[in-house]
Amino acid sequence: MSLFEEMQQAIIDGKAPVVKELTQKALSEGIKPADIFPKAIVPAMDEVGRRMRDCEFFIPEVLIAARAARAATDILRPLLVGDAAARPAGTVVCCTVKGDLHDIGKNIVAMMLESAGFRIIDLGADVSAEKIVDAVRAHDANLVAMSALLTTTMVNMKSVIEALAAAGLREKVKVMVGGAPVTESWARSIGADGYGKDAPAAVDLARSLAAA
Amino acid sequence: MRLRLISCEIFFREMCALIARSPHTIDVEFLPKGLHDVGTAEMHARLQAAIDRIDNTPYDAILLGYGLCNNGIVGLTSRERQLVVPRAHDCITLFMGNASRYMDYFETHPGVYFTTTGWIERGGADGELSQLALGKQLGFLQTYEEMVARYGEDNARYLQEELGNLTRHYRQFTFIEMGIEPDGSFEERTRQDAAGRGWTFEKVQGDLGLLRRLLDGQWDETEFLIVPPGFQIVAKYDEGIIAAEPAG
Repeated sequence: MSLFEEMQQAIIDGKAPVVKELTQKALSEGIKPADIFPKAIVPAMDEVGRRMRDCEFFIPEVLIAARAARAATDILRPLLVGDAAARPAGTVVCCTVKGDLHDIGKNIVAMMLESAGFRIIDLGADVSAEKIVDAVRAHDANLVAMSALLTTTMVNMKSVIEALAAAGLREKVKVMVGGAPVTESWARSIGADGYGKDAPAAVDLARSLAAA
Repeated sequence: MRLRLISCEIFFREMCALIARSPHTIDVEFLPKGLHDVGTAEMHARLQAAIDRIDNTPYDAILLGYGLCNNGIVGLTSRERQLVVPRAHDCITLFMGNASRYMDYFETHPGVYFTTTGWIERGGADGELSQLALGKQLGFLQTYEEMVARYGEDNARYLQEELGNLTRHYRQFTFIEMGIEPDGSFEERTRQDAAGRGWTFEKVQGDLGLLRRLLDGQWDETEFLIVPPGFQIVAKYDEGIIAAEPAG
């Protein structure tokens, strides 16, 4: 098994300490930090996404795999600053909307996006439209990913999109939405750019929106 | 009128008290509170089955003792009878008596977990339903020991932190007193639970008015959706919350 394959397996198995060790080993062997993302982390997390979609993996398996991936990205990020070859796939401002305190789903999406190579600005839970607008501006984000678990709070997604438009940022960012009560038709009705029904779908969506 | 009520058991005491005093003759079927936890599709299927198994008693309407409940009532339909449904996101509106009072409270009190007699004494997802509960399906509901065995101790500790406490952002219990409680024991239990978690406690007075108007046949369209036979419930996410459209 090659070192990249070993890393992939350790990520899929959720073995954070092993991933950390292998990342350091790769670097000491002269492998470029920018190569580790596409050759180890991204394919491993894509496989995790596939397993989740096929109901082979559930939330705990996904979480520990994402945590293992983070063991590598934590080492690699500082080394990649200023490396043009390792430009992030996009910058995503993510949060749960105003009034909604349920953030497990958002956390999983954020971790999966991070291991897919996105830069994540995680604003946490219960976030106002103003804060989202400020963060988009401050971090020059090109994606906003927001979630709601309640029908009482999902209406606040609409306010966020309106606030982005009012701030003149709507053309600059793509908006993706998710969460238990959220549907494709709801996403369309509020003018969002996409809906992710689960974390792997959110990653696919972010990729296509960032490429658009 | 002869009415058929299909209700979440969270309203057991309230509905029984109101049925006793309703001018109408009301038959009732209570469904488990655990339907809240089994996901939209399964909840919908159970509710539709409850509608479909109603016999040929000449009911004037089927009443639903439910809110939108995470879209669990979306798509419900009856071929022969009208459905009457309160315009509510969830049961808290029905306990508080109107939707705007709930929304005002919700917006000014983040992180509140509500309790009532039914919330306290009626089961969560138990028995057969517990196997269907989303938390179980998604792998949330494992003991720490199970997680250690499956994922190792290091990962289990992490998962415990991430998943162990689904209410980690909540900070208050609000007991809604409906005026049908036998004594102060339900309130006291909520107080103790709050103290145990280090949360604040508040008691608010509920309002049986909305439930009473449902059972008494006072179906003002600002408060209730009337779904004609052959129509189905759809979610609207506006002031009206729900609407009726021809069943597909």
